[in-house]
Amino acid sequence: MSTVESIPKKLPGMDVNKLGKDLYEVFIGPQHPGSGHMRIIIRVDGDVIVEADPDLGYVHRTMEKLAEGREFIKVIPLMERMAILDACNITLPYVEAVEKLLDIEPPPRAKYLRVLLCEINRIASHLYGLGIFGVFLGHSTMYMWPFGDREVFVELAEKLTGARLTHTYPVPGGVRRDLPQGFAEDAEKAIRYMEKRLEEYRKIFLDNPVIQKRLIDVGVISKNLAAQLGIVGPNLRASGIKYDVRIIEPYEVYDELDFEVPVFEEGDAFARAWIRIIEMQQSLRIIRQVLEKIPDGDPLHEKFWAKAPALYKKVFEQTKRVKLIPLYANLKVPEGRAFARGEAGRGEIVYMVESNGSTKPYRVRVVSPSFRNAIVFRYIVPGHRIADLPAIYGSIDYFPPEADR
Amino acid sequence: MLVDIITWPPLFQLVIAPGLVAALVIVIFILWFERKTAARVQMRIGPYHVSPRIGGGLQLIADLVRYSFQEIIIPKAADKPIFIGAPLAALVISLLPVVAMPFTTVPKYYPIPMDYSLLIAVALSTLSPIFIIAAGWASNNKFSIIGGLREAFVITAYELLIVITALAGGVAVLSYNLTDIVVAQKPFYKWILFTNPIAALTMFAAILMATSGFPFEIPEAENEIVAGAYTEYSGLMYGINMGAAYIKRFAYSLLFTLIFLGGWLPYEPSSGLIHGYLIPLVIVLVKSTIVMAIMSFLRAVYGRFRIDQALDGAWRIFIPLALIGFGIALIEAYLGVYA
Amino acid sequence: MSIVEILKEKLSSLNPEISEGKGFVSVKVEKDGLKQTARILRELGFDHVKTVTAIDYPKENEFEIIYHASSFLNEELAKYIIELRTRIPRDKPEIETLTDIWSSAEFPERETFEFFGITFKGHPDLRPILLLPEVVDKKPLRKDFVVKEEGIFR
Repeated sequence: MSTVESIPKKLPGMDVNKLGKDLYEVFIGPQHPGSGHMRIIIRVDGDVIVEADPDLGYVHRTMEKLAEGREFIKVIPLMERMAILDACNITLPYVEAVEKLLDIEPPPRAKYLRVLLCEINRIASHLYGLGIFGVFLGHSTMYMWPFGDREVFVELAEKLTGARLTHTYPVPGGVRRDLPQGFAEDAEKAIRYMEKRLEEYRKIFLDNPVIQKRLIDVGVISKNLAAQLGIVGPNLRASGIKYDVRIIEPYEVYDELDFEVPVFEEGDAFARAWIRIIEMQQSLRIIRQVLEKIPDGDPLHEKFWAKAPALYKKVFEQTKRVKLIPLYANLKVPEGRAFARGEAGRGEIVYMVESNGSTKPYRVRVVSPSFRNAIVFRYIVPGHRIADLPAIYGSIDYFPPEADR
Repeated sequence: MLVDIITWPPLFQLVIAPGLVAALVIVIFILWFERKTAARVQMRIGPYHVSPRIGGGLQLIADLVRYSFQEIIIPKAADKPIFIGAPLAALVISLLPVVAMPFTTVPKYYPIPMDYSLLIAVALSTLSPIFIIAAGWASNNKFSIIGGLREAFVITAYELLIVITALAGGVAVLSYNLTDIVVAQKPFYKWILFTNPIAALTMFAAILMATSGFPFEIPEAENEIVAGAYTEYSGLMYGINMGAAYIKRFAYSLLFTLIFLGGWLPYEPSSGLIHGYLIPLVIVLVKSTIVMAIMSFLRAVYGRFRIDQALDGAWRIFIPLALIGFGIALIEAYLGVYA
Repeated sequence: MSIVEILKEKLSSLNPEISEGKGFVSVKVEKDGLKQTARILRELGFDHVKTVTAIDYPKENEFEIIYHASSFLNEELAKYIIELRTRIPRDKPEIETLTDIWSSAEFPERETFEFFGITFKGHPDLRPILLLPEVVDKKPLRKDFVVKEEGIFR
């Protein structure tokens, strides 16, 4: 065994800290099957965690700085890489902020198409979250089934937009493509399949006595603490606060659709697992309503294609597909500052866009829902056991690339 | 002459069947079965490419060959003799209980005198866990120490259960001799599984706790402590560690088969090598493989308990159940069910 | 009364500039009145902060620090987003922290500290959250830190 004297006292980048008596410091680090792309430094007394410190920034990609050097339309694929599973939800508030600065409003058909893709992405994102949650608890069946069923919705998105994950579908003024033929029948089949599968998930995961013992009364966040810490998304709704951006400040056409927002009172990890399944059921309901109610029209505001060269106009009128016209490349946005928010799969995402009249933004500020949820590690985890850390991590659906931007 | 040397019971039972060779073959089959059933439940195919015609059965042999060629990396600060010796010792000592098990009624084919074989088999099975703790200590890694500690805690949960429930079988028949226990279960309805189901169920759960079977896969919880005591092992040592748990499970399920499932019944061994030794042996192996297959299937259904929940359940629920099973066995002995 | 009138009434002592923007209500105060304004907003019912950030104006030699506050528990106020902003000089970037009023400002203030070099006095745990120490010294998000992209054709 190596002795204390043989360990060098200070290597570059390595500090030697003093710990309390009887405390043991464990680095649930980036190379760990239960940590994702982040590090959690925990101090343990026996089996009970006394202090936890999240160490973020392993996948920081400097999106805010890069956005200052690119044109307005090029920022959309940049911001999409935050959480490509949820691509439409993540970039839609940015497009809305730019539309507020430009003072135009997209046509109604475009709004319905945006909502359709948003709900498909929300289901895919919740399935991913449930899969990771299952594998953190050791339940490998709950890992394979959601990932297999997610294929159905990723292929549905591919029929609509042409890409499986990185859609880049909303643009300022509308959307890039129209509905293809036969989409409504495929969507109906997918919805019926998913409704049957949600019953199976309930039977094997939520009614499973082992899972119930692992999750009930673990990671309890009370109502006042949730509002004070500022956490968002299904975690907030599982603590008793009815806050969903789709009903507080309805964007696109959410005020014309009929859906419910589930709210639970307990605030523990079990409520957070239940709420994701019920939200998926509501999203299926929204998709059905959108496909019934969608009006006819153009998918893009006419300002952008009426003055385009002849080839672009011909492609648009025949196939309703947008070849990205030069008007977008030199889009000069008037001076001002705009703020927009939306409800992504994991919570509320906010954008602040400031422009000084040129073709590139002056400042883009984005706060993703996972960054706002990261404070849970600091304040809720202490007091639980080591084995509760993956349970809490999976239940808040923390996604490191989204948090680090 | 050669046949006499090979089938000399101490050598045959410890090395060939159900010792090392048969244990390895059955463990390879059970690992393949576990991966295949879990895959079918989870909407996928499982092992497929290595030998498609027989459903990927040779996948495990391919894995073993791959492990043999990998480099064994020993950390510089690890305690070398214990690091290398502990998994090997665990593997060999987990197989020791087979030397105290009879597979026939012919006394010529007993390795040791079988008068107290139940006690000797249970006692030998408790020797192996110390080596897992030693491997966790010698690795000089925080996750290994936490894994070794968890194994030490789990021992306090299952040891007592196995001892009480195994002795329940002996008490019902009023004998410590495993041969008497097997022979007393002669008609089909007199299997101790049916007359004392509580003790059988408790021993089943205790075997799951002892060998990291789901839902008690606590000492090697992958998402909490990487691989527990086995974190720093690579190459063939990793293969040995992963197989050691299954070999331990095999030894326990042989004991379970002899006590609760009637051993080699309904076959009556007569004299001669084949009729007196090999055929009852094969019947016992088939029954214990079925028991192990049921344990493998639970992998696809359950999650994983926390360590304090497992200990809590063991001391508040399972030990009272085991004592009730023991009480039922005492009542059966009083009423002379197996006289 | 609309939200603008309520705010004008409660904050009249601090002489703010209140206007409606595109999706928010803007309240601009002097640097010294920031904490008092935050306290009044907290009492009104705005119980969390959505984001804390800064914008660099090198031509005017100032930073503009922005807090966006809203409400979870009060359903009427949840529709509004209050943008609380102030200006501080670029040569001496210091300001008082608001974590004792709004706990949800803890992580965003750390992020603004490491990207702009603005010190928040009184913050319980001011250290970099996303970047490494060598990069924090360069203060990345200021306008004088220029990202040179390699040209393909050069």
